[in-house]
Amino acid sequence: MRIPGAIVYPCVALALFPASAALAQEPYQLGLGYKLLDEITVGGYLSTEFSRGENLNEVLIEDLAVLTYGNLTDNLSFLLELESVDFYKLDLENDTDSSNTRPAIERLYADYKVSDYASFRVGKQITPIGYWNLQPINVLRETTSNPRLSREMFPKFVTGLSVQGFTPFDETLHYTAYLQNTGDMDAKYINIDVDQHYGLTLEKVLSPQWKMGGSIGKFREKNRNRTQYFQLNTRYDNDRYSFLTEGVVDRHEQWLGGTETSTSVYAQFEYRVVPEHALIARAEAFRDDRVALHEKIGILGYSYRPLFPVSLKLEYQWHADSSNNRLVGSFSILF
Amino acid sequence: MRTLLAAILLLSLPAHAAEYAVVVSSKSTVQSMEIAKIKDIFLKKRSFEGDLRIVPVNPLGNDPARTRFESQVLNMNREEINRYWVNNHFQGVSPPTTQASLQSIKRFIETVDGAIGYLPIDMVDTGLRIVHEY
Repeated sequence: MRIPGAIVYPCVALALFPASAALAQEPYQLGLGYKLLDEITVGGYLSTEFSRGENLNEVLIEDLAVLTYGNLTDNLSFLLELESVDFYKLDLENDTDSSNTRPAIERLYADYKVSDYASFRVGKQITPIGYWNLQPINVLRETTSNPRLSREMFPKFVTGLSVQGFTPFDETLHYTAYLQNTGDMDAKYINIDVDQHYGLTLEKVLSPQWKMGGSIGKFREKNRNRTQYFQLNTRYDNDRYSFLTEGVVDRHEQWLGGTETSTSVYAQFEYRVVPEHALIARAEAFRDDRVALHEKIGILGYSYRPLFPVSLKLEYQWHADSSNNRLVGSFSILF
Repeated sequence: MRTLLAAILLLSLPAHAAEYAVVVSSKSTVQSMEIAKIKDIFLKKRSFEGDLRIVPVNPLGNDPARTRFESQVLNMNREEINRYWVNNHFQGVSPPTTQASLQSIKRFIETVDGAIGYLPIDMVDTGLRIVHEY
C-alpha cells in the first residue's frame, strides 16, 4: 500500500513497525531542540553579556527566547519565536538594575512550499540580507557584538510576504523577494519603524567554499522618510578559517526635503586554531551624513565552544573615539 | 603476454566496488539523481523532485551506512554536520527523520511516498530502485 503525504509517515511508521518506530527518534541533543510528536520542535536560547569601558561597567542577561517550529501538512510549516531582550541588566557604574520580562514576537510566520523554485512565507520574518542579519543571536555569531551595518542600515525584520527559491535557469543562484505594506507585527525590538518595505536578495554559490550575493530594496519609515539601499556580500569558508565581508549604501530621502547618504562596511576574518578555539579580527567603517558621523571600529576576539551550541566569547573594541573603547564578554547557549 | 592481459584486466576493474546505494521505491517516479541533489535533499536545501515531495531518512546513530554516506556523499564529518543542523535549528529546519534499523529504513522507503534513503547494496531487491551507488 502506498501512502500519500509525508505528514502521515510517523503514524504509518508507528502502525507498521511499532517496536522500531518507538526507538527511531534520535536522543535529545543540545542545540537541536526537543522533538514533540516527530513533526514539532521546541527550543530556545539564552545569552549573558558584560561590558567594561570608560564610564561603562554592566552585566546583563541579554536575550532569553523560546522557539517552536514544525510541519502542519506536507507543504505547510510554521515558526514562532518569543524573546525578551535585556531580560535583566545590572549597571555597576551607577549601581542600578532593571529588568524586562515581557516577551515580544521576534518571528511568527507560515511557509508554503510549492517547489524548490517557489516557497512563500507570510508573517514576521528576518529580512534576508547578507550573513549577519540572518544569524542575529549571540550563540551563532563569531563575536558578541554586531557590526553597525546589521543594526542601522535596513530594517532587521519584514512583516509581510516573501517568496524564495532557486532560479530555474541557474540552480546555484537563490533568490528572495520580500514585501511589507503595514507596521511591524510587534514593534518592541525593531531597529527601524517602517510601514512599507520591499526588496530583492540574490545569492550565488560559486563553489563549496565561496558564496556571494547582494540585495536591493526600499523602505518608508513611519515618519515618511524614505530610504533606498544597495548591499553586497561575499564569504569564504573552509575547515580552518572563514572570511566574510558586507557593504551597504543607503540613500535617504527626507520627507521635509533633502537627500543624504550613509555607508557601512565590515570585513571579518576567523581562524579556528582547533574546532573549539577561534580567533577573530574585524574592521568596520560607518558613515552617516545625516548626523555627520564617521566611525571606525577594530575588534579582536576569542571564541571558545566546548560544544558548538555553547559559546564563551571575549573581545576588545577599538573605536575612532577612544572613549568608546571597551572589553566585551559573553556566555550563550542554544537549546 | 599473460601478465600484460592480467594487468589490463586489473586496471579495467573499478578501484573498489560500491558497497552502498541511495535508493527510492521501485514505484517512485524518480529514476536517477545527481550526487549534488542527493546532498541538498539530505541537508534539506531541496525538497522536491519534479512535483514529488522527497522525504529523506537516516539510520539512527552511528550506523556504518550513515557514516559512510556522510563522508562520501555529503562530504562532511559528523562535527560539520552537527554545526550545520545547530545553525538550521534557529532557522526552523530540523535534520531528516530517522529509523532504528536498516530493515525499517527499507520498509519505510517501500511504504512512504517520496522516501529516499541508503542501504548496503546486498539489501536492495525488486521493491527498491538504486539512484546512486557509493
